[in-house]
Amino acid sequence: MSFGESCSATEGCITCGDTAIVLTVVSIDDADACCQDATGRTERVATELVGPVEIGDRLLVHAGVAIELLPHDGVPEA
Amino acid sequence: MPKTLTEQEVGARIEEIRLRPKRFRDDRVTMAHGAGGKASRSLVEGLVVPLLGEYAPSALGDAAVVTVEGTRMAFTTDSFVVSPLSFPGGCIGDLAVNGTVNDLAVSGARPLAISLAMILEEGLPADVLEQQVRAVAAAAAAAGVQVAAGDTKVVERGRCDGMYLTTAGVGVVRSGAELAPEHVRPGDKVLVSGPIGDHGVAIMLARGGLDLEADLRSDTQSLWPVVESLLDACGPGVRCLRDATRGGVATVLNEIALAAGVGVVLAESRVPVRPEVTGACEILGIDPLYVANEGKLVAFVAPEAADAALAAMRGTAAGAEAAVVGEVRADPPGRVLGKTGFGGHRVIDVLVGDPLPRIC
Amino acid sequence: MRFVDEYRDPDLARALSAQIAALTEPGRHYKVMEVCGGHTHAIYRYGVHDLLPDNIELVHGPGCPVCVIPMGRVDDGIAIAEQPGVILTCFGDMMRVPGGRGSFLEANARGADIRMVYSPLDALRIARENPDRQVVFSAIGFETTAPSTALTVLRAEQEGVENFSVMCSHVTIIPAIKAILDSPDLRLDAFIGPGHVSTVIGCRPYEFIAREHGKPVVCAGFEPLDVLQSVHMIMRQLAESRCEVENQYGRVVRWDGNPLALKALSQVFELRPFFEWRGLGSIPQSALRFTAGYARFDAEQRFELPGVQVADPKACQCGEVLKGVLKPWECKVFGTACTPETPIGTCMVSSEGACAAYYNYGQYSRQRLDLQVL
Repeated sequence: MSFGESCSATEGCITCGDTAIVLTVVSIDDADACCQDATGRTERVATELVGPVEIGDRLLVHAGVAIELLPHDGVPEA
Repeated sequence: MPKTLTEQEVGARIEEIRLRPKRFRDDRVTMAHGAGGKASRSLVEGLVVPLLGEYAPSALGDAAVVTVEGTRMAFTTDSFVVSPLSFPGGCIGDLAVNGTVNDLAVSGARPLAISLAMILEEGLPADVLEQQVRAVAAAAAAAGVQVAAGDTKVVERGRCDGMYLTTAGVGVVRSGAELAPEHVRPGDKVLVSGPIGDHGVAIMLARGGLDLEADLRSDTQSLWPVVESLLDACGPGVRCLRDATRGGVATVLNEIALAAGVGVVLAESRVPVRPEVTGACEILGIDPLYVANEGKLVAFVAPEAADAALAAMRGTAAGAEAAVVGEVRADPPGRVLGKTGFGGHRVIDVLVGDPLPRIC
Repeated sequence: MRFVDEYRDPDLARALSAQIAALTEPGRHYKVMEVCGGHTHAIYRYGVHDLLPDNIELVHGPGCPVCVIPMGRVDDGIAIAEQPGVILTCFGDMMRVPGGRGSFLEANARGADIRMVYSPLDALRIARENPDRQVVFSAIGFETTAPSTALTVLRAEQEGVENFSVMCSHVTIIPAIKAILDSPDLRLDAFIGPGHVSTVIGCRPYEFIAREHGKPVVCAGFEPLDVLQSVHMIMRQLAESRCEVENQYGRVVRWDGNPLALKALSQVFELRPFFEWRGLGSIPQSALRFTAGYARFDAEQRFELPGVQVADPKACQCGEVLKGVLKPWECKVFGTACTPETPIGTCMVSSEGACAAYYNYGQYSRQRLDLQVL
């Protein structure tokens, strides 16, 4: 398993499309988290940029790196 | 100062350039040339066909139809370089059989026999070879074709990815079957034989080396039963069939729209796609319409035959989830338009290249 | 899947569409720029323009990092890749960008070892797996992507991976927007702000657009309903004569951005005094380079770079297109010499580029076609 497999250039590239996806943490390995999407695919994600994560957290992931920890209740933070 | 063109004039010029045969102007072959999109077209139409001259195929369909002593025979060939060699739902062995069988089937021909050429890499484990040949045998039995000739070559380690297979096939065209893009006309309905994108997504996921929780399998299968049933039910009402392999349904629709000089309108929400495929495509950032299938066809049928065609397809195992997905229009010629589920529309064009090559 | 469908609901779309139409002043023409290529893509992919009244025009902005890379940077990348023992890694769309001497894809066919990666962390992994090779990551992207590169460099430092370096072409969005706002021949009414860039930088950096230039900004998500809703929010501001920065993408974007990402960025990178943008020319403080502390990871210092300067092709008017002054079809080479298969300008390369998007989808996007089928 490698980082960022969830991105592809078929319909547009990672950076140009400013693409990021939401993944859920299923296990934690030091600074990396193993994250899963709604279809059960897993991916390794670096988490240093969002601080400590817990199993069940939802992360916004861009190019194999979590860039935001999403609120659990879906309510925007101030 | 050149005259300033209006938007309509620029549009007309784009269409004109788009319809011209593609020229091949690259210094080297790149991966894009193998991806089934515009670059592939430039290689075939811009280099191979002109160099073959009068010996080139007259129409670039799935199989050539030649008349031998009064019998119309279909003849085709295909190579398989898929990686990994085995994946959920199939392997290179059954792809090699079904790929060629389906090229014959969508030409309206009952597949009779295939040849099998194997290029093997030094060091390939014997059990892998055995497994693949067993798969060839099983697929040939299921499709009812003889493996009538063969060849084997071995290349040094590192020269190929385990094994490459090439098959060629012959079949006899059903009497009365006149399948060609030229027969497609405005008003015809467009059908697909089942959910799309299974094969390509299964391969992409298999490559990631992940444990699949979703039960996603390649759809590799013979399409002859579907074709036979269609031809029985609708006869000349079947205008044209295509096997939606590399480049997916979108590419096939574009090929027909260009070849027939018609427009195709696709109702995107009617295209059957398994939720697992939708989900995976969403995350992979790709469009299921462009994902390869190995056991799905696109049928263009006369409007009055559409109901019978749908029933006929649904009566077969490989076509059980068939659906009417679109319609042929006079305008705009050579273009495929999609009515999006969101309520807008878009152009569905041929891809330029595909960064995920080698899935068939 | 539910998480997708709820942002693509056609009934909600129709309702929003009617509300937007009700907010437009008859006879007035509205020009709204979507800064980000991801929005351009969503607009064409889902046919969002069909749900907007004719007098709202969406103008595609400069938010495609591939499109703004000057040809000389591509040539420099190839020069690095052609040095013995080098593996150059990059994101997918960089592969086809034309330089003065062809693209990465063509350099690969000539024998260079250029590999597509999905994450800079994959490039670092390749470096770890190939200790006898020099592995270079060709980094492009706005503030969404730059933190990933910064994090990778921090990890390379931590792990002592010495054979890894980065050719940094990261750019920043605000100076590009400033350049557009300063362009005299442009009249825009509002901006749809980039969603994921804002995840990192927050919404505050756009405040000058509302304050000093008097144009509303709405940071938006990437689903078609997000785009439609952001247009609605813009139209409401205009109708109510308000002018502020609003956040449509609150489910993801925090007002102040991501402080950890910003910290990583400032640790590894600093602003370049100038950076050459394709089409837009040299823009001060618009790109990132390594700070002194991380200079040893800078591929530009590790390898002798030719520093190629290639003038943009004369006929190509990417700059005007990027600024939204020209529509893609008004460029002299559009659709004739410059096509997605043989792009001259970068706007034609990436599927998010304004020209490629217009070429592939545009001509029919403005016609109200009767698509009632079946």
